[in-house]
This record gives sequence, structure tokens and C-alpha cells, in this order.
Amino acid sequence: MPAQPLPDFSTSVRLKYVKLGYQYLVNHFLTLLLIPMIATCVLELVRRGPEELISVYNSLDLDVIHILCSSFVIIFVLTVYYMSRPRPVYLVDYACFKPAPSCRVPFATFMEHTSMICEDPKSVQFQTRILERSGLGEETCLPPANHYIPPNPTMEAARAEAQLVIFSAIDDLIKKTGLQPKHIDILVVNCSLFSPTPSLSAMIVNKYKLRSNIKSFNLSGMGCSAGLLSIDLARDLLQVLPGSNALVISTEIITPNFYKGNRRDMLLPNCLFRMGAAAILLSNRRRDATRAKYRLLHVVRTHKGADDRAYRCVYQEEDSDGHCGISLSKDLMAIAGDALKSNITTIGPLVLPMSEQLLFFFTLVGRKLINPTLRPYIPDFKQAFEHFCIHAGGRAVIDELQKSLQLSAEHVEASRMTLHRFGNTSSSSLWYELNYIESKGRMKRGDRVWQIGFGSGFKCNSAVWKCLRTVKTPVDGPWAECIHRYPVDIPEIVKL
Amino acid sequence: MTVSVETRRSRVTVYAKSTAPSLTPVKPGKTHEFTALDHSMSRHSVHLVCYYRQEPTVTMTALKESLCDVLSYYPAMTGRLVKNEGDGCGEWMVKCNDAGVRMVDARADTTLDEFLASATDEEERQLAYWEDVGSDPYLWSPYCIQFTDFKDGSMAVGISCTHFHADPTCVAVFARAWSETHRRALVTCPPFFHPWAFYPRKNPVPSSPHLSEKSTIPPPLHPPAMSSVTFAFSASSVRQCLADLQLSNLSPFDALASLLWLRISSYKSASLGTAQLTLAVDCRRRMSAPLPLGFYGNALHFFGVKADLSSGWIHIASELNRHVSGIKEDDVWSSVEWLHERSKEKAFQMYGPELTCLAWDNVPVYNAEFSPGAIPVHVGCRIGNAQGEGLVVIMAGAPGEGEEARTVIVTLPTDLTAQIYRDEAILKYGPKIMFSPNI
Repeated sequence: MPAQPLPDFSTSVRLKYVKLGYQYLVNHFLTLLLIPMIATCVLELVRRGPEELISVYNSLDLDVIHILCSSFVIIFVLTVYYMSRPRPVYLVDYACFKPAPSCRVPFATFMEHTSMICEDPKSVQFQTRILERSGLGEETCLPPANHYIPPNPTMEAARAEAQLVIFSAIDDLIKKTGLQPKHIDILVVNCSLFSPTPSLSAMIVNKYKLRSNIKSFNLSGMGCSAGLLSIDLARDLLQVLPGSNALVISTEIITPNFYKGNRRDMLLPNCLFRMGAAAILLSNRRRDATRAKYRLLHVVRTHKGADDRAYRCVYQEEDSDGHCGISLSKDLMAIAGDALKSNITTIGPLVLPMSEQLLFFFTLVGRKLINPTLRPYIPDFKQAFEHFCIHAGGRAVIDELQKSLQLSAEHVEASRMTLHRFGNTSSSSLWYELNYIESKGRMKRGDRVWQIGFGSGFKCNSAVWKCLRTVKTPVDGPWAECIHRYPVDIPEIVKL
Repeated sequence: MTVSVETRRSRVTVYAKSTAPSLTPVKPGKTHEFTALDHSMSRHSVHLVCYYRQEPTVTMTALKESLCDVLSYYPAMTGRLVKNEGDGCGEWMVKCNDAGVRMVDARADTTLDEFLASATDEEERQLAYWEDVGSDPYLWSPYCIQFTDFKDGSMAVGISCTHFHADPTCVAVFARAWSETHRRALVTCPPFFHPWAFYPRKNPVPSSPHLSEKSTIPPPLHPPAMSSVTFAFSASSVRQCLADLQLSNLSPFDALASLLWLRISSYKSASLGTAQLTLAVDCRRRMSAPLPLGFYGNALHFFGVKADLSSGWIHIASELNRHVSGIKEDDVWSSVEWLHERSKEKAFQMYGPELTCLAWDNVPVYNAEFSPGAIPVHVGCRIGNAQGEGLVVIMAGAPGEGEEARTVIVTLPTDLTAQIYRDEAILKYGPKIMFSPNI
């Protein structure tokens, strides 16, 4: 038989096995080192026999003082170690707001309303093009006030929306966890665009009759990444207060923010932002460890506001006609990519296995010292995480992250499907995505989840969770009635 | 029944407009085609207003929710008009694009009883908001539902739609389905979408002398201003009418239609002779393969009745009876086939311009109960664009008034309306006069 050239797949298979072998070697290096050492020690001890061991011990000539001091030192070191460890933060459970189907906005209705409200046909055409390529579906919902022609954004309507979404989510959470409102110690609410007096957190305290010594916070103006900021704040507070729990509410109130003008860079939020809210219960109590779903491993916050371009990237201002809107600059994707790079530079060493970190380090050294044209090594985050929740800010964001992190379609499925079913619900979208993964029965014990949020500022925040118990389907939540229809194939352009 | 001397400011204020989507999304690509009958009615519109007393479950918010629910069964209602480019015929059809129906919120600055007693024709018309198709039919909702809140918590629900989509029976059946959905009861007459119901027979005999004649009438250059008045005849009044006619086989419709025909004609010209009345009759049940009541679309048969008005009321009534009971299915089919042949041409006015009467009393309209046992206090029906000599709509009356009770809505040129509701021959039977013009 003539020697045939090796087919391509065989070389890549060989490379795959080399890579696997390298990973096992590096990641389990300590284990691989310790096991032979322990084996040698055990063999040695067994060889020497008990009498020799006793004689070695006697020869040490230890008396009570020595033993007491050594034990004291050991106990002291252990105590300091355990006390200085951060308190574990558990996510007991969370609930997302499920909008009523009568609030839904089909594409045809949206375009009809836009044509009737907007005087400029070019704006109408622009919004049609955005909607066609947006990746949204026909079941996304807007608050009741935005269904009017023209929309009716009174403060009363905004408060009504806030009450509807927040109270529904909290009621759901109370049902799921058996939480008693009087037992809530910390309350953090984040809602970027609507900030009435008294605050939304005061509204919750009032409705649920929370305790008078509750630590409540209301974060506003912090954009779509504020959900993870609230988690970070709650975590820091839970380090200081032992045996407490924290209720975190992430939402965005759409009613007051309908843009009435014609500037193209301000029309995107009208097309993409939809109603949503999430209520999360965090706890540092040991007894919640058995019933909690997740444990918070890391939160990494990156703020690029020091750079002027990043600062003005998502900017709320009035246009020439006096209409207030949020303008999104053209270099949004570039700045997001930049912020993401900073964020993963910080989070990489915390979560990546040693094999990836070494590869990255050597490539970095190689680029700096040997050959600057070497391609930078992008660490394989798929080895650090089983699930990814990328903020469903828009199709472009998800596409960009899928490309830069080299994720497969299944990894970004949760984000795409959430964008399709619920639209861009701002800070709460990460929780809808997590719920999607759970509803699909993919969340197993020990799985790690990476939530990435982007927001005005420009900020990129990450949170890493570890699943503590396998989540059994069916899952009660916003996906309950429609999960069987997903995933759907979302066309590039929907013809309107 | 107050008649103000000077024109009074309307007590009905419309304050918000929105769109109601159906609860379940419509599958993309769905369409609904029109029959020849639908095309023929495209110049008109239907307006049905139902009045309800205050009930805890009958609130604007709850009704809007149940409206979204029932719309899931009517994908044709939430669609938009497009030209059928597909098989090259270029006719209008509905693209079920899930756009929803228009909703209008309004309030009336009075109580329901006060309104029913004193409202003018203009005010009742304002309870069923309607916008004619504008420059872009694709952005125009063929249905418009108005919710009017009264000061005492009562409510009026006004359903307006283009006659292209539905005839009055269809709208009444929709209202019933909506009320059943609101009560979470079973929908007794689910919609039946079957545009082939009026497809010409295998051996068509297209012929309709009456409609051919109508199609040749040129539209009036200066259509007169029209106004309406409503006569609510109780069962005893109708029985009195029938007793006066002395013929045993006449129906309340025959009695009332003939009475009004006679009286209107007597005001139009001093001398009475042979005259023609156009009748519109629902023919869902008159086909040998009867269409279900839920048939979505138009099923009205228009035909002419000639009678010698000088021969007296009894003669006119018996002529009407003879014609209505003698409608042959073949006539209906011939009419449909004639319309089918000319469906590509522009539709002409069907209600009018000659005197027309819509025989609608065989269709139950008081069964839209949004709350169990709470039937509408009153139901009114108007037809848009029926200019000319006038239109008489005879519909069932409130069940509380008796089985023979009838509501008659007369639309005439303004000067004639002023005379007709003071007519002694009609007032002799003691009808309650509602929604008279504001003069």
C-alpha cells in the first residue's frame, strides 16, 4: 500500500491529546506531586515499624510546655486563618418578573405606533431597520403607559410600573424561599433611570413593612451593569454583618424614558429596552448553605470612566428639540471590548486553571522579550466556567463577546434566547439568562457560572457563582410556559 | 327625553388611544381572504355600542385583558389590509401580522341613566370612535374598541369596524365571545374563518337586477347631512301594532318596517305611489348548508321590495312578509355570483342611497354578558356611510321589555329626522325616544 499523507484530522487529534495531557499535568500538578510523596512517606513509615516511630518520638524529648505552646501556636494560626477568611455569600434563590402577555409589543404594533408618533419618516425607517436586526421576538413587553399613542410617561405611571415589576418579583421570591419580610437585614435596589423621592427601596420597605433598622440602599444612574454592583455591595455588607441576609432588586423602569425625538443615536433604547425585574436573596448564614442554590465566588468590577471616550459612550442628554434621551456612541463595541479585556485580565488569574494561566504567561513573556508579533494567547474560559450569562444588551454585544471569548453557540444560547423572549431588560437580564439555563436542566452541582454585565460609565462587571445543588426541572419562573419552544432559530433579519 | 334648544356641548371625552395585542402571537405568514360579499361592503362601517351597569368585574383594565385574550381566536381582526400580490389579482386581503386592534379610552360626564334618557344622536355616535382609512392602509386598524366610563361606574363598550371585515351579526357574535372569555366560560360561537363559503357554485348564474340597478346609480354630488333617532318599542307596543294590522302571520319586523317605510315616504313626498325599499337580511341560516353563527365575514343579502304605498299599511306589511319569507337560496347565490364577477371593480354604496332597511331582529344581541347575569342595559347599532334617503335598522330590544320588543334606529336626512320622531302615527304606539338629534 502506498504511503498516504496523514489526513488533517489526525494531526489535530494528536494536538488535542497533547493539549489535554498538558492541562491534566499542570492543573493537577500539586496532586501529582503530593501523591508520590505521600506514598513514599507511608511506605517509609510502614517499613520502619511502630517501635522505631515511638523511639523517634521519645528522642524528641518533648515536655508539657512544648506541647502546649505548639498546640497554642497551631490553634492560633488556624483561628486567625478562619477568622480572616471572607464569609461565604450564598444565593438562596432568586425570582424574575414575568410580564403579562397583554403587555406584549409585536413588531407590527411597534412600527405602527412609531409611524403614528414620529413625524420624521427617516427615523421610522431607521427604527424598522434596528428592529429587524435586533434579535428580539414577538413576545417582549413594554409597560402599559408605553402602549398609548403617544406614550403617557407620568410619574404615577412610572411608579405603577415599578410597583408592578418589583412587587411581583418579591412576592415570587417570598413564595419560593419562605422568606419573612421582617427578617430582611439588607435591602439594595438598583434602577438606573427612575429615581423618585422617596426611593424605590423606601417603597419596598413601606409595602412589605420591613424592619426599622434595615440597611437599605438605592443605586440609581449606574446603568445596565448595576445588578452586579448591587451584588457586590450586598456582599461587602454581608462581610460586616454576621448571620444576615440581603434582598437585592435589579430592575429598569421604562415608562419615563421614551425618547420622543429623532436623533438616531438616541432611538436604540426605544427599540430594545423592555420591562423586567429580578429579586435575589443573598445570605451568609451557615444554615442557608444547605438550601442555597449558588455561592458567590468572585465579583470583579472594572470602571473605564477615567477615559473620556468611555465616559461619553452612553450619555443621557437633551437633543436640539429639548427631548431627553440616551445617546449611544458609535464606538460602543470597541469600548466594550476594551473594558472586557481589562475585566478578564483581572478575573483570569482568579478563575482560570493553572494550565491556561501558564500558557498566557509564557505567551506574554514571549511577546515582550522574544517576538512581538506572536499572537496573544486568549485564555480558554470554557475551562473555567460551564455556563456564561452575557448581558443581553443587543445582538451586537453578544456576537462580539462570542467572538472574543471564542464561545460556542450553546454557551451564548441563554443570552440570545433571553434577548429574543424578553428583550433588553437591562440589569435584570443576567437573571433571566440564569433562569433559562436552569429551566433547560443544564445546571448541575459544582457548575460555575460567569455573569458579565456592561453599562454606562463605561463599566464592565463580572460575577462568578458556583452551583451548590443540581436544579431540577421544571423550574418555576418566567420561562416556565415557553421553555419547551426554545431554543428558536433567530434569523439575521426579520422582514417587517 | 329632553330636547335642548341650543346645541349642547358633548359630555363624552376621549382621552387616550392605544393598541391591544392578542395574548398569543400569530404564526407568521397567516392571511385571511375576503369573499365577494366582503368586497361589496367595503364602503361602510359597523358600530355596535353596549351599555353595562356597574359591576366589580367589569372595569376598563379587566375588559382590556379579556379583549387581548379573545383576540387570540381572531387573528384576522389583528391583521392589516394589504393587496394580494400573490396570484396577481391585486385584491385586498388581510395579512395577519399581529398588529392588534385600536383601543380608545373615554369618559362621559354623566350617569348611565341620565345618558340613556338625555343623550343626543351625536353623543351616542361618540361612544364608538372610528377613523376612516388614512393614507396608509397598512398602518390602519380595521377595528376600534372604545371604553367609556360613566360617572356612576357604568360602562359603554363601543365596537367599530369596517364592513369589509364583518357584518353586524359578526360583531355581535364577537362581543358575545369576548364576554364569555371575560367570564372564563366556554365560547359558544367560536369564529369560523371560511372565505370559500361564498365561492360561486359549479354552474354559476350571476344575476341580480336589484344590485345591477344600484351599481349604475351615480354617487350623489352633495350627500345630505344625516342624523339618527332611536325608537325603543316595548313588547306591548309591538303587539298593539300587530293587533292594528289584523293579519295573523305578520312578524314584528313586518309591522315596524312597513310602518316606518310608510311614514318616511309620506314625509318625503305628498303623494304616495309604488315605491321600492332595499332590504338587507342576514342569510347565514338561509343557506341549505347553513353557516354557523360564528362565520366571520359578511353574510347579508340585499334585495328590493316593491309595494304600492297608497294601498295602505296592511298591504305594505303583507308585501314585506311575502318577500322576506320568500327569499330563495338561488337568489342569494345569484347575487353572490354577480358580485363575484364584478369584485375587481370599485365597490358601490350598498346601504343607500335609496331607502334601505336592515332586518336584524332575528340575531340575539343582548347576550354579551361580561358579568354572569349582567346583560347590557341597551344595545345600539349604526352603519357608517349610509347617506342618501335613509337607513332603518330593526334589531332585537332589551329582553326585559319582552320577546317582541324591538329597537329601531332610523337614520335620515336631518330635516326628515326632525319630523319623523314627532310623527303621530309612530308615537301612537308609545315608543321610548332615545338619542334624538341635537336641534
